Amino acid sequence: MKTNTRSQIIKIIEKKGKIRPSELREALNLTAQAIHYHLRGLSKQGIVEAKGSVPFTQYALAGVPDFEAVSSWVNARTLAQSPESLVCETRERLTARLPHLKPFVRNGLPENLLPLVISTAGEIGNNSFDHNLGQWQDVPGCWFESQVTGGHLWICIADRGQGIFQSLVKVHPDLVNDQVAIEAAFETIISGRAPEKRGNGLKFVKKTLSTTPGGGLACISGTGRVYYGEQGERCIALLDKHFTKVRGTITLMIWRLK
Amino acid sequence: MKVEIRKFGEILTSRPAGREAGLTIKAYFKPEPGDRIELDFSGILAIGPSWLDEVLTILHGEYGKDRVVCIPSENASVVESLKIIETQRSE
Repeated sequence: MKTNTRSQIIKIIEKKGKIRPSELREALNLTAQAIHYHLRGLSKQGIVEAKGSVPFTQYALAGVPDFEAVSSWVNARTLAQSPESLVCETRERLTARLPHLKPFVRNGLPENLLPLVISTAGEIGNNSFDHNLGQWQDVPGCWFESQVTGGHLWICIADRGQGIFQSLVKVHPDLVNDQVAIEAAFETIISGRAPEKRGNGLKFVKKTLSTTPGGGLACISGTGRVYYGEQGERCIALLDKHFTKVRGTITLMIWRLK
Repeated sequence: MKVEIRKFGEILTSRPAGREAGLTIKAYFKPEPGDRIELDFSGILAIGPSWLDEVLTILHGEYGKDRVVCIPSENASVVESLKIIETQRSE
């Protein structure tokens, strides 16, 4: 009976992403005490984890970052405004938010990795502004979200810009589609702002996440997708679950905590 | 002549900020003829290749590559940024 109820709880959470105990109570027709008993058990087993504080606690599968908010923002057909707490509308706001990554050292981020975590996030975030100023679909800026779950730091950066293919094809007409463009962007010295001598940022990010044990990176732009590093496949699987065609660009980076 | 990079900020990642820093160094740091410009990265938290590339492009253009020296740093972001810039310039 206990196993069966817990399986049902897991299935519901898998389907919904995250859920409040009161919703589970209604769905399963159990008492609040029974639901909390099972949730405590699943938490102890490391299967689910609580997010948010009482009385707004929700439960999600452990080790999986929450993409609900970013997928709503990225996948929306049109937007009039963005959530201020998660979107840096200007480069200055992005710059001001990068130091917010420092406290993750207290969550187990190795101190020697902190400079690389910040610089890779800075490169990806700044790219949103370098290549999309005056080209936004509607709202300006980049989504900048960091989460700790399952012993990892996850950083998700997205924009509603023109996408990598559109950014590059104007100066590199030989690039035929989203996939060719995104691979060129991460793997060759190329820039949509040629003849300016640019194009090293994404190579830096790719190399850093590929060579860091427990690191990984995935990026989707249009229908193009790439992933690199030990945990790259895990990153792209998570992105694929929430995003199919991204009109701008979304990047997910993962760092292992101690 | 030593330039303390930390005086430009603790976190240095964007190209516009790098360009501004490069132009500032060019304007206010005037080495004697033949003297070298030494970039000292001690005290910074994180640097990106975009910021550093802008600074080095301006300084190399003004003083030549041989007169601009990056003092070795243990900060991983400095080490990796310099490597990627070197690779880019050799291609």
